[in-house]
Amino acid sequence: MDENIFTTVCPGCSMACGMYIREKEDGTIDIDWRKDAVVNAGKLCRFGVRLPHNLKPATSMVDGNEADLADAVAAAGTAIGDGAVFVSVGNTTCEEHLALMKLAESKNAVVNTGMGAFSRIPSECHPTMGVGIPFDAIESAKKIVLFIDPYEQYPLLVRRILAAKKNGAEVTAVGWKAVSLADENKVIGPDQYEAELALDSDSVIIADLNPSSDPEQVMVLLNLAKKSGAAIIFMKPFVNAVGCDLASKHTEQKSFDQIIEEIDSGEIKTLVCLDTDLIEIMPDETAVREALKKLDNLIVITSRESTITDVANIVVATEPLYRKAGTVVNAEGRLLVGSGTGTDGIDAIGTMIGQPVDLFSELHAAVLATVGIDSVDERVIPAYEKPEYAVMEASPTAEAVETALVYAYNPFLWNGIIDDNDFVEMNLDMVLANSLLKGIPVKLTSDRGDVMVGFKVSDVAPGIVLSNAKLPVTTGMVTSVTVSR
Amino acid sequence: MEIGDCYIGWATDEEIRSKGASGGLVTAMLAAALEKELVEAVVVLKKLGEFEAIPIVTSDPEEVKAAAGSMHSVPIVLSRYLEYGTKVALPAKPCDARATIEQAKRQQVNLDTTYIIGLNCGGTMHPAVTRKMLETIYKLDPEEIAGEEIDKGKLIFETKDGKEHAIKIDELEEEGYGRRESCQYCAINIPRMADLACGNWGVIGDLAGKGTFVEVNTEKGIEILQNAIDSGAVEITPADEKGKAIREKVDSAMQKVAASAHEKYLAPIEGSHLDYYMNTLSDCINCGACKTVCPVCACGEAAKCTDFYSQALGYKMSLFHLVRFVHLMDSCIGCGQCTDVCPVDIPLTHLYRRFAEPLQEEFDYTPGVDMRTPPFFGVDLIED
Repeated sequence: MDENIFTTVCPGCSMACGMYIREKEDGTIDIDWRKDAVVNAGKLCRFGVRLPHNLKPATSMVDGNEADLADAVAAAGTAIGDGAVFVSVGNTTCEEHLALMKLAESKNAVVNTGMGAFSRIPSECHPTMGVGIPFDAIESAKKIVLFIDPYEQYPLLVRRILAAKKNGAEVTAVGWKAVSLADENKVIGPDQYEAELALDSDSVIIADLNPSSDPEQVMVLLNLAKKSGAAIIFMKPFVNAVGCDLASKHTEQKSFDQIIEEIDSGEIKTLVCLDTDLIEIMPDETAVREALKKLDNLIVITSRESTITDVANIVVATEPLYRKAGTVVNAEGRLLVGSGTGTDGIDAIGTMIGQPVDLFSELHAAVLATVGIDSVDERVIPAYEKPEYAVMEASPTAEAVETALVYAYNPFLWNGIIDDNDFVEMNLDMVLANSLLKGIPVKLTSDRGDVMVGFKVSDVAPGIVLSNAKLPVTTGMVTSVTVSR
Repeated sequence: MEIGDCYIGWATDEEIRSKGASGGLVTAMLAAALEKELVEAVVVLKKLGEFEAIPIVTSDPEEVKAAAGSMHSVPIVLSRYLEYGTKVALPAKPCDARATIEQAKRQQVNLDTTYIIGLNCGGTMHPAVTRKMLETIYKLDPEEIAGEEIDKGKLIFETKDGKEHAIKIDELEEEGYGRRESCQYCAINIPRMADLACGNWGVIGDLAGKGTFVEVNTEKGIEILQNAIDSGAVEITPADEKGKAIREKVDSAMQKVAASAHEKYLAPIEGSHLDYYMNTLSDCINCGACKTVCPVCACGEAAKCTDFYSQALGYKMSLFHLVRFVHLMDSCIGCGQCTDVCPVDIPLTHLYRRFAEPLQEEFDYTPGVDMRTPPFFGVDLIED
């Protein structure tokens, strides 16, 4: 009977779907549908629906032992010195991210959001890379080109695209796997986009920007939008990736690949991660694990238990996102605020910088100032501005391999959760060529070894093995594999 | 007081009377049930905005009083929030009441400790659709709305400046707005399966708008109404025959409208049935929301629909849905929750009804109206 109900957003991706969380006396949670939520009308994808099963609170730890939050904070404060590197991809509020920025500044560092593309692409493109077209506007587009698989990656976009189709839109999907709602599916290279896609100013491009995105490919898409006059939205896999990017003010940052290389080479000795699990996020999980072992201090400030909390030297456990006070900004630039009032995370970071109380108010005011508003109204959204930048030289490089293992990025994969996604997809020709049998796992072999995994026949491009879950044989965004029984 | 009696009742508290719908009888009864410890808890909708409310289970009479007033734009079924064993009362639209009874058949709810105060219902609206309707049809800013009511076939919105804006529901529904599809063809408007059936139909004369018509259906109904009278929270007067006749007439008219909507929406499938179901389900993303929200599903995590299904199987039509269509044939009450929450806007209630109605008609069985179970309910397939 006694329960706390929080109005919040789903932490699964940058849609930031509205929802309620019911927290019971015993600490377990249930989700509930917030049908008046402006982003999603209360509808949730599987990630949101399954949240109670998958969201595990973190426990504060010091050197492998359970610790009080205060002790963990004190240990972290001592361990974080000059030379520490900070990361936060946007799995927390703008305010908590800003608190980490203050801590980083006090150590003459910046907070890396992991979106390496921002540092490689001219700053005049950053607004377009950050905030995209409003979701409502997708429904009135005449033509939509998908560089994502909405069913897998951003399921709440499906209804928007279907609504656009009802309104007469033509939908083209470009990617490894045919998207069933598309009128046309194309497997084409960047040099063919302009001619093959025939976009104009009534068109919308829907793409994805994540820590592993190739900046050259992002530039190609930006060029495509600029030349055609099409609107564009880059969806992100982290709920507040846009907010953290805005808060970071595009400071010169390192990509996660760079950070891992520098840890590997011994340049980085202390890494501070705010609600960011590099083991889950980076495609080569094994390489990341090996690199992290070389750190003197791996300090994880986090609201949830995940792979990285098992290997951290210090875990500072904060309240879950739904209980946090503060704001997030979704992919369409909408500033959203929940009913949470918790400031454990901010207070913990505040303690590390010698400002243990009332940091939240200062940070919240800074967020509002950055966005240029006085108060949060979830129904108010910034006007979309068409791209203002010069066309760039860009030449994405595709790794040529005979059979490529690639990830079908979805919220479960980004969060390291095995759900109903532990299988790979390939086309029938590949299944027949390798004499695979239904119900018998397929063997995938790479330089890293081999793995047996279930498979499903799908309309996937020739030579592609698409995985919905992390696999230990993966060595990068594209892994050369052989397929056998 | 006897089962079958009909009264007009109202709250004695001026504030409840003015804030609650039709004299605040239901709010006063629920609050009195808590205050006199007839129940431990009450399930109500906590209002968060003009189009937003969240179900809460509360033992605080003040929270019950604060929840007074109807909200047609909050289509939620409350039975999901009941806990077995708790002595509880809830205001219940017919679908709330029916879902509660179906849960009782599945041992999820104990009807002996559950007081169901039924509310007449002509249908509810999805808040997102309501907002769009206000902008496009009424030409009103949804944030300017101060209240709404349905009267004489019209949907009336009151704006903060005190003005009323009324449009016929028929006209709204022609444009694709108004009530949810499942509400349009729902023929159960008076919740006679509840302990009490309350509403404004049949309240005439000086009491029109100031009182609630209440029909007593069970001993528990007598108990909760008498409790409110004894505590001084409520006053009643017998309903007159003219009022009763008007109530029946309104119900009959609503049923005719529902029958017509049923004919429109659930017309026979043209062409291949297999193609129809495959196409309609083709966008399913396997979220499981329809199962999670279903107020008559009592299977929990270990369910046939999920156990026999995996995304890796890659069948052309989801076994999850096929199992659910069959499993719900005897219990689907057509509440519309599955359609509301479907992230890809599949009209799931519509599909469930297509499976359920032939069976329910065949066995002359309407789920949720009494404790009768369908012929094959709980059949032991292993013979001695």
